[in-house]
Amino acid sequence: MGSGLIAETAGRLQSRLSARVGAETLLHTLALALILVVGAAVRLWGLTAVGFNSDEAVYAGQAAAMAHVPVLQDLFPVFRAHPLLFQFVLAMLYTWHFGDAVGRGAAVAVGLITVLLSYATGRTLFGRKAGLFAALILALMPYHVVVSRQVLLDGPMTMFATLALYAMALFGTSRNARWLIAGAAAVGLTFLAKEIGFITIGAVYAFLALSPKLPLRLRDVAGFTVTLVAVMLPYPLSVTLAGGHGGGTTRSYLVWQLFRRANHTPEFYLQVVPAAIGWAVLAAAILGLVLLRRERSWRDTLLLCWILVPLLFFQLWPTKGFQYLLPIAPAVAILAGRMLARWPRRLSRGRRLHLSPTALGTALALLVSGSLVPGTLAGIRPAASDLFLAGSGGVPGGREVGEWIADHAPIGATYMTIGPSMANIVQYYGHRHALGLSVSPNPLHRNPSYAPIVNPDYQIRIGELQYVVWDAFSASRSSFFSDKLLGYARKYHGRAVHTESVTVPAADGAKVTKPVIVVYEVHP
Amino acid sequence: MSCAPHPAWRRATRPVLAAVALLAIAGLAAAASPAAGRNAATGDAAPGAARGKSQPIPWTTTPIEHLVVLMQENHSFDNYFGTYPGADGIPDGACMPIDPAAGNAGTCVRPFHLGDNEVLMDDPSHSTTTARAQYNDGKLDSFISALNQRNQDGRLAMGHYDDTELSFYWNLADQYVLYDRFFSSAMGGSFTNHLYWVAGIPDASAGQPINTYLDGRKTIFDLLQARGVSWKFYVQNYDPTLTYRTVLQHPGNRASQVIWVPLLNIDRFLDDPSLGGHIVDLQQYYRDLADGALPAVAFIAPSGPSEHPPSNVRSGERFVKTLLQSLMQSAAWPSSAFLLTYDDWGGWYDHVAPPQVDAYGYGFRVPALLVSPYARRGAVDHTTLDFTSILRFIEDNWSLPSLSSRDASANSIVGGFDFAAAPRSAVVVPFSRVDASVPKAPVRGIIFLSYGAGLLLSAWLFFLAARGSRKRREARARP
Repeated sequence: MGSGLIAETAGRLQSRLSARVGAETLLHTLALALILVVGAAVRLWGLTAVGFNSDEAVYAGQAAAMAHVPVLQDLFPVFRAHPLLFQFVLAMLYTWHFGDAVGRGAAVAVGLITVLLSYATGRTLFGRKAGLFAALILALMPYHVVVSRQVLLDGPMTMFATLALYAMALFGTSRNARWLIAGAAAVGLTFLAKEIGFITIGAVYAFLALSPKLPLRLRDVAGFTVTLVAVMLPYPLSVTLAGGHGGGTTRSYLVWQLFRRANHTPEFYLQVVPAAIGWAVLAAAILGLVLLRRERSWRDTLLLCWILVPLLFFQLWPTKGFQYLLPIAPAVAILAGRMLARWPRRLSRGRRLHLSPTALGTALALLVSGSLVPGTLAGIRPAASDLFLAGSGGVPGGREVGEWIADHAPIGATYMTIGPSMANIVQYYGHRHALGLSVSPNPLHRNPSYAPIVNPDYQIRIGELQYVVWDAFSASRSSFFSDKLLGYARKYHGRAVHTESVTVPAADGAKVTKPVIVVYEVHP
Repeated sequence: MSCAPHPAWRRATRPVLAAVALLAIAGLAAAASPAAGRNAATGDAAPGAARGKSQPIPWTTTPIEHLVVLMQENHSFDNYFGTYPGADGIPDGACMPIDPAAGNAGTCVRPFHLGDNEVLMDDPSHSTTTARAQYNDGKLDSFISALNQRNQDGRLAMGHYDDTELSFYWNLADQYVLYDRFFSSAMGGSFTNHLYWVAGIPDASAGQPINTYLDGRKTIFDLLQARGVSWKFYVQNYDPTLTYRTVLQHPGNRASQVIWVPLLNIDRFLDDPSLGGHIVDLQQYYRDLADGALPAVAFIAPSGPSEHPPSNVRSGERFVKTLLQSLMQSAAWPSSAFLLTYDDWGGWYDHVAPPQVDAYGYGFRVPALLVSPYARRGAVDHTTLDFTSILRFIEDNWSLPSLSSRDASANSIVGGFDFAAAPRSAVVVPFSRVDASVPKAPVRGIIFLSYGAGLLLSAWLFFLAARGSRKRREARARP
């Protein structure tokens, strides 16, 4: 009788527990789905309202060349500067349908997978709630939202870096060396997405070196290294074996990147990245490290390595770009998620709170992620500005001017722009050859991907250059080349044949229409 | 209160409504009429009406509303396109006797690529006498000896260019129309052929002053002027003071302006501003294109880059490229045609005996290229043509009378067009034979294979790791 009662009670408890676990799982699944919906909404809203920027045009152009899109395969060499993993995926999509929406849609998909991976990693390291909060933060983080709406390599690089992080987290929790090997493959893919992804290797080795408690055999390290090399191999292999134009450019580009002059001041990242990640997110992540220091383990080491190694590298490397630090964003989000999930519980120990730890954590998570919304909305709104920061979105008027060129200019016409950025856009949308005036004829001082105009006067005089394109974005970066370009327009009977304008707020707050791109026809 | 109109008002307005209705019906009928606002040949909207220009162009019988003709200097067809694939070029085994009297027993010179041997570039004689001598009653065996008789190295006549030098012209021929039976109108030099170009008549002045000879003879521009069709004669480096009246004060090459612009020998074009005002500097051509003011008929005479031997033919190609590109960049392009030809054979060998239609010609074949959105693509047109064929086209297109028996009986250049096809977009034809800007494509299969393999390998490794973890979990869960 007594044993029967115990068995009955145990069975009842188990079924209640199962029901509760089932309800929690359902709730978490619903919450994750909602996060993905929100993440998708902010990434898809007005996705193609503004055309591609220069980098997007290049990557989409390369993919188009790989997919044999007729109008672009002669303008964009397949090999240029970076590895081709994302372009390879895009090329396969382009064989189905070619267009801006496909390219950017693929970038959004990559961004959402990264959100999912952040959830999975956060859950593996710190539990479901931490994973959910991390996913929510990344889903709304302006930095990640803005970049994952563009056809850039940094989005896929971040996705594979997060996949590697996930594999390392699984290796840490399961102590199964196969996850280390899988992590090596993910690091290799990070490199294939963008060559600067090799910095993830440093993060992995730093993590392994700083986590002596993790079981690590020499053969595991060897296996990691061999796998890494095997997965990275397609980059050098294709450049060497596929032949064609651009293979040499790729090699020269790597050398040039190593020795090029600084393009931003050392404070650049400090000025742009914290605000893009979100000050509240950063504060939560840092507070978590301080307040939860007693829980410190290899988990913190892993995330800190994932953040500090790239941060240190890119801070020291003279070449800086807005989106270069994106791979640290998921790790920051997980640290912040950990803080929001675990600190309320810690706070509640021995104290009586008005809210349950879960409710407090959720409220804090909503507050932190809510603080990201204004920045995200500002980032996804079509920019009404005559200034432009590379990697921060599309170029207003760029697609429109390109389409005008495609419709109105003779096929085979050549354009001179202030710099190579607008040249890329003209080539992509205008389907015409374009050259940047600012590209140095000295090979030591130019990106090997670009061809210089050695003598613009001669080129115009012999009829090889028929149009000049001035744009406010490039002009704001180089008034010298802007003036020089306009000088050629004046000298060779330049006639403005097309103008693209944006409405921007003036100093007095009134709205004024400002020309941002002007196409001049020039004649000898 | 009723809303119906008052009967008195209805009575008053009925006639007005009827009138409006009648006008509307008349308007609709006019609009529906085949001729109203339509091009008779193509059914396209009449250009003036469609574009709302202030000076509507009189209707044309084809979609061509602008014809631009450039007359360059002194090359035969074989000299420029003798080795062009698909054209009636230099025959296999051609060999010109140095001494025609010796026949097959003597030595002969095969056609050669200019610059490939010791024969120096010169300006081969291209007078009527030389032309007649080279023609030699149709035997065409005296191209060398005729020059030798002029104390020139006659072997030069057998020299020819190819796409090494004429890359741009050959590219044009690849994309547009090359006429390979386009003869100079007269067996002679520049002036007589230029007269055919503008008036369909030879220089038969026979000693009388040229202005007297030409006085009262109509040119195509007189006809256009009378019909109200816009026209201009663009002259490179135009000097309005240099006419037949002052030519003796301008020795040297500058005097060629008077030869290449025959209108400068006609008093009415010099004295009547309503006519003479149409002869303008070439810079006006670019301005007119930019302003949308290209006339219906435009003749162009070159100056320096005329390709007259021994000058560099590449400079002529650059000149033509600039003229053409400006036209292509303009709003006029969709309804334009550009004809490039050469005033005479220049003393060079050509293997086709020109038909003798009268005492003056035809002369030897000259190169002729037609570029237009309606030009057939990459076609070699074999219609027998001469400079009066241009006049014939103008007369047909703008419904003008003939100038002479020559243009009345000439074939038109219209065979080079395909008006049934949709007009082609403007294309900047590359100057080089091979477009260096087109990147050489890599073997894409290697890229797809290698990156695909990288992805698959990674996916497999993740699968293995996941399966390993699952097995461990299952092992742990077992009692």
